Amino acid sequence: MVVKRKVASCLASVLFLLSLTPSMMAQRTQIRGFVDVLSSVQDGKVSFGFGEQDLFITSELNDRISFLGESVFKWTPQTPTQFSVSVERVIVKYNFAGNHNLLLGKGHTPLNYWNDNYHHGRVFFPTIDRPLLFGANIIPLHTTGVGVEGHDLGELRFGYDVMVGNGLGSSEVVDNDVFKSISAAVHIKPVDKLQIGISYYSDIISKGATIRGKVINWQVNQQLFSASIAHFGKKFELLAEGTFGFDRTDTTGTTQTFAGYVYAGYKITPKIIPYVRFDQLQFQNGEIYYTKDNTTAFVGGIRFVINYLAVVKVEYQHTRADLEGRQDKFTAQFAIGF
Amino acid sequence: MKRDTHISNLASLAQIGRLLSICILLSVALSVKSQDANSALTVIGNSKGVPVSLSLAELKSVFLAERQRWPDGTKVIIAMIKSTAPLGKVVSKRIYSMTGDEVRGFWAGVSFAGKFESPVTFNTDSELESYVSQTPGAIAILDKAPEAAEVKTVLINGKKTF
Repeated sequence: MVVKRKVASCLASVLFLLSLTPSMMAQRTQIRGFVDVLSSVQDGKVSFGFGEQDLFITSELNDRISFLGESVFKWTPQTPTQFSVSVERVIVKYNFAGNHNLLLGKGHTPLNYWNDNYHHGRVFFPTIDRPLLFGANIIPLHTTGVGVEGHDLGELRFGYDVMVGNGLGSSEVVDNDVFKSISAAVHIKPVDKLQIGISYYSDIISKGATIRGKVINWQVNQQLFSASIAHFGKKFELLAEGTFGFDRTDTTGTTQTFAGYVYAGYKITPKIIPYVRFDQLQFQNGEIYYTKDNTTAFVGGIRFVINYLAVVKVEYQHTRADLEGRQDKFTAQFAIGF
Repeated sequence: MKRDTHISNLASLAQIGRLLSICILLSVALSVKSQDANSALTVIGNSKGVPVSLSLAELKSVFLAERQRWPDGTKVIIAMIKSTAPLGKVVSKRIYSMTGDEVRGFWAGVSFAGKFESPVTFNTDSELESYVSQTPGAIAILDKAPEAAEVKTVLINGKKTF
């Protein structure tokens, strides 16, 4: 009798699952990946390596709810296996009206064009690596929290992003203090392939917070003002972004930081694009939150687009920094999507 | 001597004939190609959500992922023939001013930035038409009038083709 009941229960479960099948089939899920292999020449030494392996999932759960997940496997010498998994984005999106969406989870802080448009797939980057603005962590790359966004509104194709998050010093699951970070950005696209935007970020970093392994010994009130212009046309490509950062503490007052870059490319053909990029990081004396390392860098390279999921870049970078002096580096990268 | 000259003339004529044939074939091929690029396109839509008419600018805006919902609130679903197919290449050129590969790159960038879901793509007109007929809010572009009664033709700038 008991066995019969169990069998009936199993059958009922199977029937229930089968009844769900049409709606499950209606769900669209895509899984993609990105990786790059590279070789560099620096200080007379040739090195081979590979970059982050990025797994990317998007899924439409229903008419209004969608999910985006991005996890990266990367070389991390501090771990026993020398590799770690990093959850870069977990975003549940709810489209509540027209072009307006509610976002929950962890995403790229919507402060400028590069951070908002490019994920970890190097195949989409116009240069081999991110500009120094991002490499030096001038802006918080990720924020965990809640936000609203809108896009392509009206004649000027106005867009906005507002996000409230745990802020710097917090973990992925719990805030380390009562303060919340606030990001607000607006942009317009007055003509095709041109986007102009400005943004504001504010956070209070608590005394004792640990950020990227560094303990912050003072409470820091941080405000970032950014502006960007992006044009990726049929022939010319231009992307320029700048961020002014203001860090205030009771003991040092306010210090000012500037970080910016200008990228320009020219399509000889749709598949061959030589490019240049100029980066600058400028810190004021007395800066206590960022690592003060005034840096200027020039990048010149050429991009060969085999197809949209296979791109080869060959690049020369000259860097002049306070801490590491002058450096010259040649790099060749083969970035793919799969 | 006279016979040799005659043979030589005949050979020359044959060569000219061959050249002419090649030229004719090439011009036919080129005319077919230009016909493809300029062929009349028809926009079809599901009876729910998709408006009865759009301007060409609005159509391009929809296909450039700039609109998430139709005026009645139905979700915009973009369906396309694969950009490697002849019709896909025409749509890439006429709507996006891009090559098929550039269009795939555009959609990869948009979807992986988390901004819009990639279009649903199909190999054949009939599959595309069938999907549009069954999917509320779906819109697609064909190079012929729709056969299924369930889909409607969307007027572009007031015309059935563009």
